Amino acid sequence: MMRHFLSRLMAPILVGLACATAQAGTDYALEAMEIEPGVWVVEGSTENFSRENGGNIVNTAFLETGAGVVVIDTGPSRRYGEALKRLIEGTTHEPITHVLLTHHHPDHVFGNQAFDPDTLYMLDTAKELLRRDGEAFADNMYRLVGDWMRGTEIIMPEKTLHPGEWEVGNRRLHLLEFTGHTGSDLVVFDEESKVLFAADLVFHDRALTTPQSPGLTTWIEDLELLEALPFRWLVPGHGAPSMGNMALQQTRDYLAWLDEALTRAASEGWSMTEVTAMDIPSRFDALEGSRYELTRTVTHLYPAYEKAALMLLE
Amino acid sequence: MSRWWLLVLLWAGLQAHAGVPADPFGSPMWEYNLERYLGADVQVRHDARIDLQVPAFAEDSAQVPLTLDLANFPHRPQRIIAWVDLNPVPHLFTYEPGVTPLRLIALNFRVQQATTVRAAVQDDEGIWHVASAHVDAAGGGCTAPSLTAANPDWERSFGTIRGRAFSRGDHLRYKTSVMHPMDSGMVDNIPAFFIEQVELRDGGEDELLLRLMLSESAAENPMFVFELPHPLAAPRLWMRDNHGNVFERRLEGETG
Repeated sequence: MMRHFLSRLMAPILVGLACATAQAGTDYALEAMEIEPGVWVVEGSTENFSRENGGNIVNTAFLETGAGVVVIDTGPSRRYGEALKRLIEGTTHEPITHVLLTHHHPDHVFGNQAFDPDTLYMLDTAKELLRRDGEAFADNMYRLVGDWMRGTEIIMPEKTLHPGEWEVGNRRLHLLEFTGHTGSDLVVFDEESKVLFAADLVFHDRALTTPQSPGLTTWIEDLELLEALPFRWLVPGHGAPSMGNMALQQTRDYLAWLDEALTRAASEGWSMTEVTAMDIPSRFDALEGSRYELTRTVTHLYPAYEKAALMLLE
Repeated sequence: MSRWWLLVLLWAGLQAHAGVPADPFGSPMWEYNLERYLGADVQVRHDARIDLQVPAFAEDSAQVPLTLDLANFPHRPQRIIAWVDLNPVPHLFTYEPGVTPLRLIALNFRVQQATTVRAAVQDDEGIWHVASAHVDAAGGGCTAPSLTAANPDWERSFGTIRGRAFSRGDHLRYKTSVMHPMDSGMVDNIPAFFIEQVELRDGGEDELLLRLMLSESAAENPMFVFELPHPLAAPRLWMRDNHGNVFERRLEGETG
């Protein structure tokens, strides 16, 4: 009798717990969008990392080649990587043969655990950066995203990627190395579909993450080289894929404004606090997170502008 | 009888905190640090005319910008003490005035964890006016290895000073950066090594314009910003660290 009573009492509690877990959210509910035959993009939001979105703020992608699937980036967590792998397996019958990691930022490589380590490829410099910064990134991600990160560990890619043209199945991919965003940024261009996977050299309707940029002018120069490629589609690292070079122009416009505004502020003697609070032109209203990212940009990049504007005193 | 005792205790408690308003941020260190840095039996009030600005979050816990703007503060500051409540050594700086009043000061500090930051400004009647702000942080800024330590060539740039004066109406803004590790003493057995004292003196009469005493919470390679009324002649900057190194420069180069 007592047991019966307890079980009746427990049932609603257990149901309640189950609901609470579902609401807390641990399912990324990823969807693949086929932008060209055999080319899928898994689009994330343009938000900042949070416990609500689980870090799904990034675009990942995969291509059928006839000889296996090429995946571009693995997402922000082990769970994301596993969800991405299930999505790929449910979308195409080809096996996953290559996973290309565009750069060492956590939202692009923390899903590595879900994939066969033999299939993970990364540029040499990017690997070094991941070795250097990975643990600090992981600490920060656990703090920002919480439980979604459970079980996530940094997996160093086994294979080194070399820039150049690469024939894989029925596709010819151009692998290009740039430096503007992190110091080692991979861009992938598929000749067949004319899709340019610009990774984080291009953001779309999302303010740029600049803390590890070697310099805004370096980044702008990278974009000029990218623009010369004959692409139809551009898949940015963050924000919606789009036809044409709209997103690239927006990114360049924002970078040029930032560089100019920081130079001017330094020449007028502004403090870091003042620069963080400066007006952002209304044409960038569509860029999500611009005030937040400006604070980050100023913290990391403004000191060099300030130093250049001061005189050496002897 | 016991009820009377309770009343007496309550009254005594109220007396002890008569000069101290409640902390809007509810920091556990509020009263403790007030007493530690301002002393017991002091008059304290919150004052919105003091503009203390720190970012909502510390992007880099070892370099968090702070600006204290006194443009709307009607009194001549007799002393300013700034501290970071939850840092291992909370004290950031103490300012002592010279012949002209300070209008603005900015420098970067370290945060060990998310914390409140305070600036207490003493007026000529001895009352402390306090401004508070909160900064969120991943933390670790006091115990993070310095950039200096990672650079084997650091001694070549050690003590390099850059500066310039910028016109701000009837005031001048001095920006000065000095290459100094500002070691907090909390990292890898590297002892504390930081600039303790900064002075600005008038270039002509050598009168003191301001004096700043710094502590472990100050950030590496500091950038100081001071705004003062125009001095008669280009002022001299004088700094001394806790190892006795003295740095001295004339601050020239006023520009638009």
